[in-house]
Amino acid sequence: MSERLTSLRETIEKVLPDVDGVLALRQGPHGIVSPYLFHKERPGELDKLALWPKEPLPDTLKIILRAHPEAKLAIVCRGCEERGIVEMYKHAQFSLDNVILIGLQCEQEEAEFCRCAKPFTVHAKTVVGQPIQGVADPLTDKIAAMSLEEKREFWKQEFEHCIKCYGCRNICPQCFCNICALEDEKWVQTGRLPMPNPSMYHLVRAMHMTAKCVACRECEETCPADIPMAVHFRLIARDVKEMFNYETGASLQQKPPQLLVLEEGEYERTGLPH
Amino acid sequence: MIEYENILTTCPYCGTGCALHLQVLDGKLVGVLPAKNHIVSQGGLCIKGWNAHAFVNHPDRLKKPLIRKNGKFEEATWDEALTLIAEKLSQVKMESGPDSIAFLASAKCTNEENYVLQKFARAVIGTNNVDHCARLCHASTVVGLAAAFGSGAMTNTVPEFETDTNCFLVIGSNTTENHPLIATRVLKGQKRGAKVIVLDPRQTPIAHWADKYYEFRPGSDVAIFNALMNVIISEGLEDKAFIAERTEDFEALKKVVAEYTPERVSEICGIPADGLREVARMYAQNKPSAILYSMGITQHTTGVDNVKSAANLAMLCGNLGIAGGGVNALRGQNNVQGSCDMGALPNVYPGYQAVTIPEVQQKFQQAWGSTSSLNVGLTVTEIVHAAGEGNIRALYIMAENPMVSDPDLNHVRQCLENTEFLVVQDIFLTETAQFAHVVLPGASFAEKDGTFTNTERRVQRVRKAIEPLGDAKLDWVIVCELAKKMGAQGFDFDSPKAIMQEVNKLTPSYAGITYERLEELGSLHWPCPSEEHPGTPYLHKGKFSRGLGKFFAIEFKEPDELPNENYPYILTTGRLMFHFHTGSMTRRSEKLHSEVPEAYVEINVDDAKKIGLNGHKRVRVSSKRGEIELGVRVTDDIKRGVVFIPFHFAEAAANVLTNAALDPVAKIPEYKVCAVKVEPAA
Repeated sequence: MSERLTSLRETIEKVLPDVDGVLALRQGPHGIVSPYLFHKERPGELDKLALWPKEPLPDTLKIILRAHPEAKLAIVCRGCEERGIVEMYKHAQFSLDNVILIGLQCEQEEAEFCRCAKPFTVHAKTVVGQPIQGVADPLTDKIAAMSLEEKREFWKQEFEHCIKCYGCRNICPQCFCNICALEDEKWVQTGRLPMPNPSMYHLVRAMHMTAKCVACRECEETCPADIPMAVHFRLIARDVKEMFNYETGASLQQKPPQLLVLEEGEYERTGLPH
Repeated sequence: MIEYENILTTCPYCGTGCALHLQVLDGKLVGVLPAKNHIVSQGGLCIKGWNAHAFVNHPDRLKKPLIRKNGKFEEATWDEALTLIAEKLSQVKMESGPDSIAFLASAKCTNEENYVLQKFARAVIGTNNVDHCARLCHASTVVGLAAAFGSGAMTNTVPEFETDTNCFLVIGSNTTENHPLIATRVLKGQKRGAKVIVLDPRQTPIAHWADKYYEFRPGSDVAIFNALMNVIISEGLEDKAFIAERTEDFEALKKVVAEYTPERVSEICGIPADGLREVARMYAQNKPSAILYSMGITQHTTGVDNVKSAANLAMLCGNLGIAGGGVNALRGQNNVQGSCDMGALPNVYPGYQAVTIPEVQQKFQQAWGSTSSLNVGLTVTEIVHAAGEGNIRALYIMAENPMVSDPDLNHVRQCLENTEFLVVQDIFLTETAQFAHVVLPGASFAEKDGTFTNTERRVQRVRKAIEPLGDAKLDWVIVCELAKKMGAQGFDFDSPKAIMQEVNKLTPSYAGITYERLEELGSLHWPCPSEEHPGTPYLHKGKFSRGLGKFFAIEFKEPDELPNENYPYILTTGRLMFHFHTGSMTRRSEKLHSEVPEAYVEINVDDAKKIGLNGHKRVRVSSKRGEIELGVRVTDDIKRGVVFIPFHFAEAAANVLTNAALDPVAKIPEYKVCAVKVEPAA
C-alpha cells in the first residue's frame, strides 16, 4: 500500500466517527474503481479504499445530498474535485454546511496525465499528500497556436467522430441544468447520427462550460472517440480570467460572472456591442 | 444509514460487452457510471449504456403472473400460474409427445438462465425444439464459420483493433450505431495508422470517416468477395505459404473466382471496377487485416454463402490465427453468443456438442438422468409456423418478442393467435406476451447475478444491484420452480454460480470459466478448457479448429425477392444508435425515446422526388405481405433504389413488410432485401 493511501486511510478513519459517511473511491471486482460511501459501522471496508483512477465524486456528493440534505458527509477531493464542489455550491447545488473536505494532493504522474495546472486543493482543512506545481498543457497550447483554418479542420475531423453518447455532459459535475440545450431540437437535431452539424453540439456545450469548467477532464476521459474537448474549456477559461478576473473553483465568495446582475447602464458603459 | 454504492455489471444492450456501474442509493437505482480501465469499454459508454437503468423501474414492468381467463388477463399467484403450466405441458407431452412442445430461449438473459431453459426442454420435456433469436441474426455465421474453420464464432478480439489491425474491411456492419464502442476502437486503430474500408448500401456513420467507402446493391456480397479475391489472385497478392500449409480446396475457389472480374462484378454490385481493385489491394497489402461484418452479411437467403466468402478472403491473405486479423462477426445482443454456447439451439447441447451423436446424448443422459432424442429440433421461424399449424401445441417463450422481431408479421400474428398454449416470461407485456395464455414476470439485468458472453467470446459477470420488482422472479428461478413442480430432479440450484459449476462440468469450452476466476480476472475468452487455462483471445493460432481451413467455391445468387414494376424499391432493415431491437426497453427509456420517438423510412433525395414526396411528412410503404405508414427522412446517405426502415417500432413494424424466405441451411430470414413500394401518405 502506498504511503499516500495509508495516510488517506488514517485520515478517513479519524473523520469517520463524526459523519454519516465518507465519500471516496472503492476498489471493486478485478481492480475496477468506483465511488463509494464508507461508514463507521463497517470500517473494514476501508481495506478496499482506492486512489486512482479518479471519478466524478462531486456529482456523487450531489446525488447523496439531494436525497439526504441534512446528512453530515466527508468527501475526499483532489484539486479539480474541490473546484467542482466550490462551483456547484456557488450554483446552489448543495449546501456545504455539513460537508467536510478531505484534500488529496495529486502526484506528478497524475497531474501530467490530466495536463493539470492546479493539481492541489486550497480550501480543504484536512489534507493528504504534499502539493506539487501545476504542469503544462502542451495539447491546448498546440491547438491555440493553430491558424483559424487549421483549427477549423482539426475540430471538424474530431467532431465527425462524435457518437452522441452525451457522456461528456452526463459525467460533468458542472452539467446540472434541469433542461439541457443539447436535447433541444432548436440547437441540436435529435435522433440523427452522424449529427448533421456536430459542431453545434460541442460548441453549445463549450459555451455552457464558460466559467464553469473546473478542468477535471472527466469529459475527455469518458469520450469513446477521444475528442480533446477540454481544450475548448481551457481556452475559454483563459479568456474568462482575462475578461472577468474569474478562476473557477478558486474562491468560495467571488460570484461567477454568469450570476452577476448588472446595474442599469453598466453594460452600455462597457462599450461592448448591444 | 445512508447507503451509496456502484455495482459493476455488463451492459444489457449490444454484443460489445461494455462494463458499467449501476449507481445504487438506498436500494434504488439512481444512474449509471462507466467503468474506467475496463478492457472493452475503457471508461466510455454509448447513449444506450448511459441509459441502461432507465427502463428498469418503468411503471409498465410486470410484477405479478397473469393468466388469461375469458379473453382477459387476470393476476394470479405463482402457484396458480406454475401449476397451470406444469399440467398443460404434462398433458400435451402425454397426448402428442415431447416434440409437440417448443421453447424460445433469450439472448437477453444470462448464460445460466439459457442453460437452465435448454436443460428443461431436453431433460424434463425431452425435446430439442429450443432455439432463440440468434437464428435471426447470426445463424449463418455459426454455420458458415464452423464449416470453414471448425468454430462458428468471431475469431479475434476488440482490443486488437486498437493495437494490431492495419486494415479494416467493414462490410454489412453499421458499426457505429450497432456496436458503438467497437467502432470507436476501429477509430483508435485508424489514428494509429490503420486503413478503414467500408462497403455498405448506406453511408453509415463509420463510412463518414472511413479511408474508402463504396455503396453497393444489397445482396451482391458474394460477387463482391469473389471480385476482391479475383484481383488478389490475379495480382499475386495472396498468402501462398498460408494457403499451402493451412488450407484445402484452394484450386476450386481459384477456378470460380476467376470468372468474377472487377468489370463483371461492377455490373452486379454497382462499385466501380477500379474501386474493387483498390479495396482488394488495400486489404491484401496492409496485413493484419480484419474483416468486420454483421447483419448485412448474414440476413440473406445466401447468408451462409456470404459468411463463407468472407472466410475465403481472410484465408486467402493469411489473416487468421494472428492478432489483429480475422473474420469478426459482430454479434448483436449482449448474450447472443452465450445463449448459443449454452445450447439454446435445436441441434446442439452446451458447447456445440451435436444432439445427433449418440455418445453426446449418452453423456447428457447420464448427467441429467434423462434427455432428448437424436433428432435435431425446430428453429425459431419453424417453431412459430408449427405453432400456428397446431404441430407445436405448447410454446414457452423466455424474453423474446417474435411479434416484432420475426419476418412477415401478419403471418406471425396468425400463428400466435392460433397457438394452443402460449407462455411468455418477460419484464414487460410485449407485443408477443399479449397473445399469451400465461404471462410470467421475469427480472431485468439490474436484478440478476450471472454471466454474459460478448461478441468476442468474452465471458463477463452480471451483478445484482437491486431486488426483483414486486412479485417478479429471476428467470432461472422461474424455470427451476416449474421443473420441480413437474417432479424433475436436477434443478435444485441455489445460485447462478451453482449453475455455472454444472456448465463447467458438461461444456469443455467453458470448463475453466468459474466465478472465482472471473472475479479476479474480469473476463475469460472461451475456449478455456481448464482452470489453469488462460482463455483464448484469438482463435485458430497455428491450426484451425477443424484442422485445415476449408475454401468454398461459391457462385453469386440473387436475393429471393427482387424489385419489380409494382414494388420498385429494395427495403433493407436495421437498428439505430438510439434504440434496441423491438424497443421494449429503449422505448421505455425517456432519453432514448425522445431522440427517436417514432418510425421513419430513409429514402434517397432523388427517389423522394421520383415518388412525388413534395414535402409530405409521411409515406406508405408496402410489400406483397402488408403495408405500414410512417415518417420519412430524405438523405444522400442511402443508395438510390434502396430504402431503410429501423425495425424497433411495433406500430409501424418493418417486419410487416419483410420476406420470410430463409437461407436453406441456417434458416435465417432475408431481412436485408425485399421489394417494396413507397407512396406519399395523405
